[in-house]
Amino acid sequence: MSDATAPAPVRSIIRSGISLHKLGVFCGLSAAVWLGSAEAPTKLVTVGFSPFILSMGMVMGAFVARWTAPTLLKGTGFVFSDLRQKPHLIVWALLAGMLWAVANTLTIFGVRNVGLAIAFPLWNTNSLVGLFWGCLLFKELRGSRTKDWGKVIGGAAAIVFGAAVLAVATAQQNAGTPGRAAIGIIAALGAGVLLGTMYIPYRKAYISGMNPLSFVTIFTFGELGTVSLLTAINLGGVSPLVAELHRARPMLFWPFVGGFCWVIGDLFQQYAAKYIGIGRGIPLSNTNQLWGLAWGALVFGEFLGLTTGGRLLILAGSSIMIAGAVSISMAEPAPSEMEHWHAAMHRECDRYGMDTANVAAVVAGNDPLADHKLQRRWWEVVIMLAAAGIFVWLAVGTRAQHISVSLPWMVVLIAGTIIPLGLCGTLLWRRTRFS
Amino acid sequence: MKRSSLYCILTDVHLWVPVVVLVLGITLLMMLR
Repeated sequence: MSDATAPAPVRSIIRSGISLHKLGVFCGLSAAVWLGSAEAPTKLVTVGFSPFILSMGMVMGAFVARWTAPTLLKGTGFVFSDLRQKPHLIVWALLAGMLWAVANTLTIFGVRNVGLAIAFPLWNTNSLVGLFWGCLLFKELRGSRTKDWGKVIGGAAAIVFGAAVLAVATAQQNAGTPGRAAIGIIAALGAGVLLGTMYIPYRKAYISGMNPLSFVTIFTFGELGTVSLLTAINLGGVSPLVAELHRARPMLFWPFVGGFCWVIGDLFQQYAAKYIGIGRGIPLSNTNQLWGLAWGALVFGEFLGLTTGGRLLILAGSSIMIAGAVSISMAEPAPSEMEHWHAAMHRECDRYGMDTANVAAVVAGNDPLADHKLQRRWWEVVIMLAAAGIFVWLAVGTRAQHISVSLPWMVVLIAGTIIPLGLCGTLLWRRTRFS
Repeated sequence: MKRSSLYCILTDVHLWVPVVVLVLGITLLMMLR
């Protein structure tokens, strides 16, 4: 970390040659890897636990995990300073966490009533909802060339369609509970609308120059509070909730690990939303289904009995999804579109009295404060040790799950998960200092 | 006249779109239970 003694001129800080578009694309794809991998630990949990408790365990894990590795990147001092400069955005970060919590609970109803095959593509439409809001409220894609419209909308639609094909293929193994189909479809569609709308606060924060780490910090509070409330309501009160959590203690480590992966994935998703917008970033991170599928198929052997037709469907769905991601990756915004992005940023600066030059620098990944030596506080060590201690405590008391896994494939996929973390983390550090 | 932050937040369409969707989502959830 460099030790600058004076603020550098706002526009002179260009740290590496990579374009923000490429950086955002890498972030979106890395988000997909980590969000997909977040599903793997929950697969290690066998039957007998409420899906609400599993979901709550994951959210609790995400909350605790936020205070482990991410605290190393930017200290609490930086986050508090960032929040003090844009206090109005705390409302949006909380709101995003609440939207996620309600959406996630709706997905549980969707899967219960119509099965994953129908529910997943329905809530995967969130990228199209996000695209709509990005265009309407934040001027994304305005002023862009026709071919870029085609690449982004075509790519997003291909990812949703690919998700539908994959879901149909995998449904041969994961049939849902029949009946009550209408409720399930409404719940899954509702989840898609909520998740797509959740990206409004994301984009709002980043065109205002907020740091993704600050946003995620507040987000996890909104998420944990709402999930706790919803789970308590669903289980009939606080006492049953505590009793269920106590009963789930021997397996709670796994959803916590899932929560850890989720936080890393979400951070990458936030950086993607910041640097390429929600219209491009969210469809890319929604390719996480491919990684969830890879874990299921290669490590857990979920599709051993799959027919040739099913395998072909998986191949077709994956190819369509990859083609969609490639299409979006190639749709770098033209200068005419960037003018509209800047207009959206100016709106925020005018409305909330923020320094336009400073916000513009942060939005461009050139935060003037990023090169200053961070003042570390003693309590950050205590917080990190406490958070890591919770993971260790849960790991020690974890009961072995009798699930057969393919160790070679597990090693390959863990390596495939860690490599993007290292690569994309390095790119983010070199280009933006995690700003 | 400079408007307060609270006024700016409460009159921001970026707030009300997610709030309305959240309320609808919670309503849907309560109906499905």
